[in-house]
Amino acid sequence: MTHKKQFDSPPRRVALFVTCMVDMLYPEVGMATVELLERHGVEVVFPAEQTCCGQPAFNSGFWEEARPLARRFVDIFEPLVRQKQVDAVVAPSGSCTTMTSHFYQLLLENEPAYRERAAFLGAATFELTEFLVDVLGVTDVGARFDGRLTYHACCHLLRELGIDRQPRALLDAVEGADLVAMTGADECCGFGGLFAIKNGGISTAMGQRKAQNIAKSDADAVALCDVSCMTHINGLLSREGQRCRAVHIAQVLTNQVDVAARPASDEVAPESKAAPRRWQDDKVKG
Amino acid sequence: MTTSTIDLTLPYKTRVQDALGNKHLRTALDRSTGRMAGQRVAAMTAVDGQLLRDQVRQMKEHVIRNLPDLLEELERTITANGGHVHWAKEGVDVQRLVVEIARKANVQKVVKAKSMATEEVHLNQALQSAGMKVVETDLGEYIIQLAGEPPSHIVAPVIHRRVEEIAEVFQRELDMPPTLDPQVICSVARGALRKEFLSADMGISGCNFAIAETGTCCIVTNEGNGRMSSTLPRVYVVVMGIEKLVPTVEDAFLQYQALCRSATGQQCSVYLSMTNGPRRPGDTDGPEEFHVILLDNGRVDMLAKEYGEALCCLRCGACLNVCPVYREIGGHAYGSTYSGPIGAVISPSIHLEVTDVDKLPYASSLCGACREACPAKIDLPRMLLELRRDVVEEGDAPLFDRQSMQAFSFAMGSRGRYEAAGKLGSLGSNVFAGMSGGNIKFMPGPLAAWTSSRDFPPLAKRSFREQWKERQRGRKSIGEGKKEE
Amino acid sequence: MSARDEILDRIRTILSRPELSFPPVEAPPLTADERMTVTHAEGDAAALARRFGQELEKLYGSYEILSSAIEVRLALINRLTDWAAEEDAARKGPKPETFGQERMVLSWAPAQLPIDGLAEALADMQWQLVAPDKLTSPEALEKVRFVRFGVTGVEAAFASTGSMLVVSGPGTNRSASLLPFRHIALIPFSRLYATMEAWLTERRAAGELVDLLRTRAGWNMITGPSKSADIEMNLTLGVHGPKYVHAILFDDTRPVISEAERAEIARLMALDDDE
Ligand code: SF4
Repeated sequence: MTHKKQFDSPPRRVALFVTCMVDMLYPEVGMATVELLERHGVEVVFPAEQTCCGQPAFNSGFWEEARPLARRFVDIFEPLVRQKQVDAVVAPSGSCTTMTSHFYQLLLENEPAYRERAAFLGAATFELTEFLVDVLGVTDVGARFDGRLTYHACCHLLRELGIDRQPRALLDAVEGADLVAMTGADECCGFGGLFAIKNGGISTAMGQRKAQNIAKSDADAVALCDVSCMTHINGLLSREGQRCRAVHIAQVLTNQVDVAARPASDEVAPESKAAPRRWQDDKVKG
Repeated sequence: MTTSTIDLTLPYKTRVQDALGNKHLRTALDRSTGRMAGQRVAAMTAVDGQLLRDQVRQMKEHVIRNLPDLLEELERTITANGGHVHWAKEGVDVQRLVVEIARKANVQKVVKAKSMATEEVHLNQALQSAGMKVVETDLGEYIIQLAGEPPSHIVAPVIHRRVEEIAEVFQRELDMPPTLDPQVICSVARGALRKEFLSADMGISGCNFAIAETGTCCIVTNEGNGRMSSTLPRVYVVVMGIEKLVPTVEDAFLQYQALCRSATGQQCSVYLSMTNGPRRPGDTDGPEEFHVILLDNGRVDMLAKEYGEALCCLRCGACLNVCPVYREIGGHAYGSTYSGPIGAVISPSIHLEVTDVDKLPYASSLCGACREACPAKIDLPRMLLELRRDVVEEGDAPLFDRQSMQAFSFAMGSRGRYEAAGKLGSLGSNVFAGMSGGNIKFMPGPLAAWTSSRDFPPLAKRSFREQWKERQRGRKSIGEGKKEE
Repeated sequence: MSARDEILDRIRTILSRPELSFPPVEAPPLTADERMTVTHAEGDAAALARRFGQELEKLYGSYEILSSAIEVRLALINRLTDWAAEEDAARKGPKPETFGQERMVLSWAPAQLPIDGLAEALADMQWQLVAPDKLTSPEALEKVRFVRFGVTGVEAAFASTGSMLVVSGPGTNRSASLLPFRHIALIPFSRLYATMEAWLTERRAAGELVDLLRTRAGWNMITGPSKSADIEMNLTLGVHGPKYVHAILFDDTRPVISEAERAEIARLMALDDDE
């Protein structure tokens, strides 16, 4: 596997790979990511050409359909790093980071030129918490959370990227947070991309097990590093009428999550009040 | 009788539905898999488990790289030990070979120790149609043989049944007085099976590993049925996959320990039984005839199709115990002799008749827990991804998947199309969300598979990129303002 | 072409493909130097004996450690007597028919046991050591079918896991450690190793490992009593093999008989005279 890029001096500018799910479903997570990076002196650029890394197609066997998206992704981000316009690429997602830095090697196996470029890019692509803790050396971002908080380790993040210590260290430093343990915190929530549709029954059973464990932990919120798993877990918590919600770690670290008062998403985008309720709204309601 | 059994011949979808709807099955699975997984973790962390896995992996890679030479060496040593080596390309060849050996030796009754390889080739049915009585002697296998069903786990064949159901089978088949005491059930089995052992003409077992340099066939058991089957009957037959060998005696003891720790969390199984041919002059006991059948049945295909890594498998079952999918549906829903992650990987290559085998690579959320548990460090998730690719390339993917993935790839292929799709989606999803007052509780078409049990959030009214653009506009004017100063 | 040649040829062809992603081209064997010892045990023979016993006990076996070979006979008789009494006490209902096998002990040939005079000592206490020449026919097996006790030595024993290695050969049957309900293994310190790897290394260094295995047909490593977890993960003992495994470990390394032992012998002989 690719070795991560080492920095002689602290990185000053990064390209944000926001991921399509964050872009379309959870812009507040993207904003929180920007805020965290900027707060630590890192300038953020957003290459507007970016769309999706192609994971949904790759993951379900449609490699032919995924390849153009992979090449496209490399074409957008690799020159920025190669020409030193940015020091690194940062994504608020363990899964999409895995796709671009690990799975592209498999997907582009027969395209040596792209594969090499993808490897170069992959070495400079970091998941958000990894970047904060390992590259910037930050664990205390000065966040505050009043309530019980637990952590769900998303599969790709934990087992493909080996990232676990970093998000936990960041949460450890959140003032006021009562960190509670959850049984089976490192067990899959059952999302798995198209798996959630193709094997809806199994996926739901896995999610229900996760929801039960969350309920048993008595947490007010479950922090995690992937909005895909967050969507699945919240889909179940909401359907089951549970009060607890899954939240992206960037939201916790930017004080977006308020379990007692009004929804955090409004702070980022006040105009979204008119929009249908968000997860956070439901929580307040509960 | 309330059973925990799934009909293997049903379509995949039905099998899974039956499994998910079966409370008894899920209770049984819950009670067992978690515990087995926990015991493995304890046993692997008690020693240098990482080094052990690395060394097993290195040894197995060496084995596969040198497979032809090692197989020839094994053939030589077994023959020199006085054993007979047979080669079988397909399952039917094993059936034919064993029936021939049995006929020649005038065999009436066969006792079998647990063996996945013989399950794979349906050996029992073949022997029974040739007029022989076949008795499974592993306690779990014996129970399911009495109940008339196949095993559902590589090492714990009756993991899908609760004690209540097992007791019912014994009361019905063996006139056991009513009890739920496992120790009593066990002693009833001991009595019944001892009779079979003492009167059997042939013993059949699989082989956990065979040692090339000495021609030793090893089986790992806790009950002692493997020892009985390889000791008491006149004829002893071993059926083994061609990949199940190790070069040296030391390698065997290394793999043995990795296997025990991974399978059941034991340091050592109760018995490691090693057979070097038939009994020698002067021996008191042991079989007079010893046969080894080396089975291909799709294993070479696996190597050819780039799934050779799966040939490193020790059949420890660790990947089943940690698999969140296996834990929900159990082994039978896979419809194959081999279930769980490793089953999903090898079933499409092994020559088995599995209904809907192309659905198996999709029976995984790709969470990676299996790879983490595997003592041979087999990258099961990667192979599942590649198998999915194969399914698609062979044109076996459902039309809906194909169309939606093509549409997806097209939409994501340009910024303009992506943004347009986002806008449309945002409008559309908000319509559904509006209908249910917040989260989306209903989506049309195949997407209903999500919303039938889970809510879905509406798309954001204003995407990140829109918000970013606005923000930058604001920034720029500030920046420009500064410049002017 | 035979199935054999077809299979081997095909594997060779596939392995020669340069683009084959697995197995790697460079796939060296594990060498003796790098191969790990999985579990460890340390100390002198007495310490290893204790460790062996502790490991066996964890697996529901039992053990005793004797400081000399001379004590083994008495210990064995005591163990048999206790077990017989235990069975009598536990039995509900009438005694089952044992066809005269009640006081039999299935054993290796006396010459193969690590203690002399065992058959005689047992006979004095009305126990009959049986070591059949052949156990290959149903008739021969029938004659020991109801024997409850088995006695064997070991080829080697491994302290770190509480395992013992038994080997078939002239006078060392496979059945005595397998068929009876209760098995007693006699383990002299001289056959006790820290680990299975230590034994393998010693035999390999002596250049006899391969021959040793190949000249004997049946090897078994036994670690504790027969068990199963097949019924909902419940532990059940004695499924097919012995339900009780007792190890008598004894120091056979001391050359002279101690005073205490001399006294013990005198006492035993006096007992004989009384009868
Ligand atoms: S794939 Fe690995 S974990 Fe699964 S059975 Fe084989 S060796 Fe065990």
